[in-house]
Amino acid sequence: MAVLNNKKSKVSDKVPSSSMADIAFLLLIFFLVTTTFPKDKGLAIVLPEQAEEVQVSQKNIIHIIIQANGIVDLKRGESPQVQQVRPNDIEGIWRQEVAENDNLIAAVKTHPDAPYKFMLDVLDALHIAGAERISLQVLEG
Amino acid sequence: MAIKGGLTRKNKASSDVPDSSMADIAFLLLIFFMVTTVFQRDRDRPIVWPVAEATEKIDEKLKNILNIWVERDGSLFINDRPYEMADIAGTIGPLYAASDRALVISIRGDREVTYNTIDQLQKQLVAAGVVRVVFATALEQRMTRERR
Repeated sequence: MAVLNNKKSKVSDKVPSSSMADIAFLLLIFFLVTTTFPKDKGLAIVLPEQAEEVQVSQKNIIHIIIQANGIVDLKRGESPQVQQVRPNDIEGIWRQEVAENDNLIAAVKTHPDAPYKFMLDVLDALHIAGAERISLQVLEG
Repeated sequence: MAIKGGLTRKNKASSDVPDSSMADIAFLLLIFFMVTTVFQRDRDRPIVWPVAEATEKIDEKLKNILNIWVERDGSLFINDRPYEMADIAGTIGPLYAASDRALVISIRGDREVTYNTIDQLQKQLVAAGVVRVVFATALEQRMTRERR
């Protein structure tokens, strides 16, 4: 009887601490796995090499002119006709035009005082449309 | 009976290896390495991110990405230090050569910064021989785009 009592009290008198490390490591590994460092993201472009001047025939160029107030004008090749578009429409126009002409180049001309975001809206639309050949210029005059 | 109990207690004291401090040792090491690890990152400048739906992750190692911050007033920052526009080419050129032409420049411009600044910056980068450039943007969801 006395022995039995003794054993019982020995079992219950300390908190089990052997699994604490396991619990801690489980939490540690969980957070290690679920943590993601924010990766840099954006719209990638390739700048031209220095002194690389390529003459392109006007019929292969589609001019996209961004005014200082965000109005986007579209001008095809040598035709003087100017069409006002929304940045969202550029995707469809590009797909349509590139189907007719594989060598098409998008020349994005932005007014020097235009906020950067208007240029990015157009660049975004071109990226969505899968355009590869994009020329970024500043609007002269 | 009393003698037997005493013997049992002695045996119990020496029968198991003390493992209660193992976690403490592990955490000490963990905290030591956490404190001594330095991530090579510059601090974020206060800019309003432009948004783009075609935003994609830059497929390059973190150490090969150099951020150029362009604040709303047109001031430029690289690695937490302000730079003049004219000095950009001279600063980036050696870094680009040292990275074995693997460096990607991330232009982190405020959405309201004038395009003139961005254009000058591009010209500086071309002069430095940089080819790969990313306009850093935040991802735009299609829902917000439809409403615009």
